[in-house]
Amino acid sequence: MTELATMDFHPQPQAGQPKPWAFPAPERGTLDNGLTVLRCHRPGQQVVAVEVLLAAPLEAEPVGLDGVATIMARAFSEGTDKLSAEEFAAELERCGATLDAHADHPGVRLSLEVPVSRLPKALGLLADALRAPAFADSEVERLVRNRLDEIPHETANPARRAAKELSKELFPATSRMSRPRQGTEETVQKIDSAAVRAFFDKHVRPATSVAVIVGDLTGVDLDALLAETLGDWTGSSAEPRPVPPVAADDTGRVIIVDRPGAVQTQLLIGRVGADRHDRVWPAQVLGTYCLGGTLTSRLDRVLREEKGYTYGVRAFGQVLRAAPDGTGIAMLAISGSVDTPNTGPALDDLWKVLRTLAAEGLTDAERDIAVQNLVGVAPLKFETAAAVAGTLADQVEQYLPDDYQATLYQQLAATGTVEATAAAVSAFPVDRLVTVLVGDAAQIQEPVKALGIGEVTVVSAE
Amino acid sequence: MPMGHTATAEAGSGGLTATEHRLANGLRVVLSEDHLTPVAAVCLWYDVGSRHEVKGRTGLAHLFEHLMFQGSGQVKGNGHFELVQGAGGSLNGTTSFERTNYFETMPAHQLELALWLEADRMGSLLAALDDESMENQRDVVKNERRQRYDNVPYGTAFEKLTALAYPEGHPYHHTPIGSMADLDAATLEDARAFFRTYYAPNNAVISVVGDIDPRQTLAWIEKYFGSIPGHDGKPAPRDGSLPEVIGEQLREVVEEEVPARALMAAYRLPEDGTRAADAADVALTILGGGESSRLYNRLVRRDRTAVAAGFGVLRLAGAPSLGWLDVKTSGDVEVPVIESAVDAELARFAEEGPTDEEMERAQAQLEREWLDRLGTVAGRADELCRYAVLFGDPQLALTAVQRVLDITAEEVQEVAKSRLRPDNRAVLVYEPVAAGTTEEDEEAAK
Repeated sequence: MTELATMDFHPQPQAGQPKPWAFPAPERGTLDNGLTVLRCHRPGQQVVAVEVLLAAPLEAEPVGLDGVATIMARAFSEGTDKLSAEEFAAELERCGATLDAHADHPGVRLSLEVPVSRLPKALGLLADALRAPAFADSEVERLVRNRLDEIPHETANPARRAAKELSKELFPATSRMSRPRQGTEETVQKIDSAAVRAFFDKHVRPATSVAVIVGDLTGVDLDALLAETLGDWTGSSAEPRPVPPVAADDTGRVIIVDRPGAVQTQLLIGRVGADRHDRVWPAQVLGTYCLGGTLTSRLDRVLREEKGYTYGVRAFGQVLRAAPDGTGIAMLAISGSVDTPNTGPALDDLWKVLRTLAAEGLTDAERDIAVQNLVGVAPLKFETAAAVAGTLADQVEQYLPDDYQATLYQQLAATGTVEATAAAVSAFPVDRLVTVLVGDAAQIQEPVKALGIGEVTVVSAE
Repeated sequence: MPMGHTATAEAGSGGLTATEHRLANGLRVVLSEDHLTPVAAVCLWYDVGSRHEVKGRTGLAHLFEHLMFQGSGQVKGNGHFELVQGAGGSLNGTTSFERTNYFETMPAHQLELALWLEADRMGSLLAALDDESMENQRDVVKNERRQRYDNVPYGTAFEKLTALAYPEGHPYHHTPIGSMADLDAATLEDARAFFRTYYAPNNAVISVVGDIDPRQTLAWIEKYFGSIPGHDGKPAPRDGSLPEVIGEQLREVVEEEVPARALMAAYRLPEDGTRAADAADVALTILGGGESSRLYNRLVRRDRTAVAAGFGVLRLAGAPSLGWLDVKTSGDVEVPVIESAVDAELARFAEEGPTDEEMERAQAQLEREWLDRLGTVAGRADELCRYAVLFGDPQLALTAVQRVLDITAEEVQEVAKSRLRPDNRAVLVYEPVAAGTTEEDEEAAK
């Protein structure tokens, strides 16, 4: 039964004339202390974004001290040679600024956002944090305790728990990538201020660091400002650290992390692929979008919009660590959650989607709509200074040229349906996927076994 | 003392302007030009939210929002998503207590498509709405509820606090996600009636912000929306007003499988749109907004009894706003230790008021938040609609930051004194239990 509408209908309008837009090209330079600086003027963006990359990767953490990079990153905002921890936090907030810092496989990253009128003051605080961090015993002790308190919260979160299990499964125990980025209870409790200081002294210096500054810089004498802030940071020179190769085991198998009583099963299905230096990357971006980039992609068209098993399932590729010679790796994964009783049927459908993709390929229409979206959203996606700064910093961190993003858009537009299909199929081969399910084993184990998508193992959530 | 340290030369409006128009069918239109980036944001606020729902049909406004993406007169299936994304745009919708919004951000040359799509569903949704999409989206929304609330630790805290803070029968007693039982009970006819009642041009505001030609944009809006008939069948929402203070401390202890003890509380605060609401925002920022706040310094830095501690504000126009305290304990620390420290800090703040430096810090933080919100065309479009729908004047969005900067220390102290009191809060305490034990089991064991 339908209802007649009473409005006047008009045909779907045609697009107007597109206006040119290009991903912004940064200006690159080096300060006297060796710090590389990328700057980018974005008119109208009153909140300036500053990203600082430190070449302190997780694999540089001493054996048994996983988490020391994280504690160091957090300790940057806990006082300097001039200010106590409380004073530093207060001064930063007085600028209306936020400063986040986190450690990941490629290194430590600090992200500052501040209204441009208070950039000088905030940049001074950031420089002090890097130049002369206090790393006071009691503050580091507090950060360690705080970190230990966080771990049970992460274990209780189905998505976080799944990510931890997948890393453990994919990588050999000897690889830093197999272990939680922010350390375990066992390793974190061994961290003290001496360990943080030692890690800092060994791995943090301006010559191996990069600062990215983006925003409306009208009237800002950035050279003078940099000279008296980040330019004042000193340190020895150092050779770039080689990126160790990593092997991954993507033998098809299923690990159920048991959470009795869970009303949903968290899925994380993944393996490892090449980093962005690989020629396949643009086609893989396109194919992955068609598979699971949005609500109208293949996975959600079935799992959400036809079956209602989920609020949404996404496929993605995310660089874990790049290498200058292209031997780095990315995580290729499908994630989402489905209701407990439908876990078996949902996985069955998910595998059917993958098999159909391999058998029949993508359609030209799917490819076209994906290209139009991925390329077309660029001006929206990079409206803010923070978005531009984040991408510029990613490029540097991944040893990519400063015009990588701009070039990627041209490559996406030039990628055909056949290439996109091939990339998606080889990114997600049905027999080479490690499936982690965080859910109620008693209810899902048998239906999952019956699917034949790999040997099923059950582990405890704790 | 000088108040209102401003980060921008024209902090009052950031140099932004907006014009207002009204179609004959009652649709209000707000336009704001900004040619910095070739993008345009379209935002539609319908003046309907979960507060309009009736007993036994909680969650209907949100479920209905999902149905708005299931096709309309001239748009098939998932066409709303497909067409916008295929044009290089992004889109979504959200439902809160007081409104439902739909938004598209488009490359500027695709603006007309977004207007056509929004008009199509405003005028002809029922031509496409059927049982199949109703059944499917009911399942999707139930899975949304599981994913965001039922399957995560503390996931239902907000729902529980809201139910405590607003009495049974109050329009804000339940949250927009609704209950599983009510989601199951909703019928296709409920959805149809909901559309006929609330989805009309005279119950909506549309804003378009960005790289636009205002005259052309207004002509398109007239063309696509102008023939949709308005109607006046909307019942007045139930009265949400309540006494300024609760008058007693309400309390619920939850024994659940959570990773740590937690103390949460909802304080009844002044309604949005008042100076007192802005003063409350400043007060809660000083007390619990960030890593230099009083509660963070006390509980996380000095006492080291909490892993996280902070205050948030839920601004509401049709009922008292809520100040939401959230503290997760460290290690084996017991809740009463936290609670007495919180009470001591709140009492001291009410007694002494904020320092000049605290005012400066809080206002600088709130100012940056406003710059962030108004710094994108989508954020600005949403704020223009918010002030148009809830307060009748979109221009208020452009001066909101100035109003926050005008708040004085005396006003902050006053609101702390009158509202941040133990007899004006609903408290939720979480006590962890071992895996496999639930509250029901405990009951049965007794």
